[in-house]
Amino acid sequence: MTMVLPIYFWITVSIKRDKDVFVLPPKLFRFEPTADYFKAVLLDISPVEQSIESRGALGFSGGGITYMVPRLVDSIIIAVGSTILVVTIATLAAFALSRIHFRAQHHFVYLILSTRMLPPVAVAIPLFLTYKTVGLYDTHLGVILAHTVMNIPLAVLLLKSFFDDVPLEIDEAAIIDGATYWEIFRRIILPTMRTGIAATAVLCFIFSWTEFLFVLMLTATGLKTVPVATSAFVTSTGTQWGSLAALGVAALIPAFIFILLVQKNLVRGLTMGSLKQ
Amino acid sequence: MRLSMPRFMISEHPFPWLFPLIAMLLVFAVFPLAYNIYLSFHEFAIAKRSLVFVGWENWLKLFSDTRLYNALVINITYTVVCLTVQLVLGFLIALLLDTDEKGFGVMRALFSLALVIPPAVTGMMFKMMEDPQFGMIAWALEKLHILSREVPILATSELALAGVMIADIWQWTPFITLIFLAGMRGLPKEPFESAVIDGASQWKITTRFTIPMLSKVIAVAVLIRGIDLFRTFDYIYVMTSGGPGIQTYTLSFYTWKQFATSLKWGYGATLSLLALIIINVAATVLIKLAKIKW
Repeated sequence: MTMVLPIYFWITVSIKRDKDVFVLPPKLFRFEPTADYFKAVLLDISPVEQSIESRGALGFSGGGITYMVPRLVDSIIIAVGSTILVVTIATLAAFALSRIHFRAQHHFVYLILSTRMLPPVAVAIPLFLTYKTVGLYDTHLGVILAHTVMNIPLAVLLLKSFFDDVPLEIDEAAIIDGATYWEIFRRIILPTMRTGIAATAVLCFIFSWTEFLFVLMLTATGLKTVPVATSAFVTSTGTQWGSLAALGVAALIPAFIFILLVQKNLVRGLTMGSLKQ
Repeated sequence: MRLSMPRFMISEHPFPWLFPLIAMLLVFAVFPLAYNIYLSFHEFAIAKRSLVFVGWENWLKLFSDTRLYNALVINITYTVVCLTVQLVLGFLIALLLDTDEKGFGVMRALFSLALVIPPAVTGMMFKMMEDPQFGMIAWALEKLHILSREVPILATSELALAGVMIADIWQWTPFITLIFLAGMRGLPKEPFESAVIDGASQWKITTRFTIPMLSKVIAVAVLIRGIDLFRTFDYIYVMTSGGPGIQTYTLSFYTWKQFATSLKWGYGATLSLLALIIINVAATVLIKLAKIKW
């Protein structure tokens, strides 16, 4: 109940007129729904073009930019881009860590884990200064690369734990039959581990989708992802809660659908593969 | 067929497989780290618009910086309080849900909903609900005679941090619950059945069996949540901006402020290194003690 109430309330804010939002006790059920905020955020029907009557009722104070589809597109480009990159890199690395034994392997795994401990701000400061000089500042690629690094520990460790599930005997049999590691990777590991890779991809997508600090520090006006874009609704003359809520809800839906797809491997993913369900 | 493939693909050596990862880590983890160390011995001189060498000045400043002390106290309070509440609440909810087999899927779906909301959006959501004029939480607290609405939660020094913690606790307790639930599902049934036959109380079963058997799960939860709590930034940024005064300056937020507002790049880098050292030491100790393996 406590879990759901804030989310439910937030959804109602996105479809309530201001007169129903700013009242106490909170109106949870009896209000007149409106799609105006969604229209403003997703369809670029600005409040001025909407009827004067509803504009008064909506009380779009403060002006500012409300059309957020470009920001959603930015978010998608960055999340998809970094997910593809991180999963590719991590699949290869996880295969090596899971199947091929080499010296100092434990130290290498620990090194990967310790990148997870880097405070984002510690990476963002040098990246900001470097990006400024090499021209990656305020570009999609710059943020994609930052998010890729952020997700590497999760992806590598999680995929390694999935790959470890495939018994080593299969490898040995394949090697006796003359298969190379590349063939084992392509013919055995990849096909059997599709769900594991999908689960990893979804989690990487979500963490990129919800990330805040890198986008805040590595972009200016060129692009913004949804979490940072929400701050655009906080204007000097007040916060446009309706539009903010509408954007929040719109951004929630794709991420929620994705996470439902990987329910079974969720816990394993969230603990970076250290706990199996 | 095999001969036509690039050589690295048929290699038995792990390096080709790891190369993309190593390259990525070198450029985006090792290099930033080295750059941070370099920066920590320099400072941005606004007048000259360039970095000047300052030696150990930034590092020595750590020992006399009262704001850093303040940030560390807040960080530790935040981490310890949130972690404790989330573990206890998460554990209790997991205990309640563990019995119900059918509702598990639905609950898990609902719980994962909280995980996909960007923390910045959660922060805004709770900022609105804690607003003294129209916020639901502020209103409920007044109705329950706990807190008058004349006291703005996020703008009162004693309450602001608690106000931020509520958002964190709300968002991440489900995460802990999910982990515990998965852990409880994996426990063997026999010891519990024999304990029930021996007439052990529910409390005894929980403290003597469930908690010790879940110790590894608890350790992993503490590790992952602890790291993230210690790096908290998003909630602070959107909910209080560190205010009122410096009452909610966490280490991450203070570092960011030094960098973005004060243009103290060198000192900001030093602070971020300090955070890294603290997290790394604490996490290593925990991993060693709890024998967490990957």
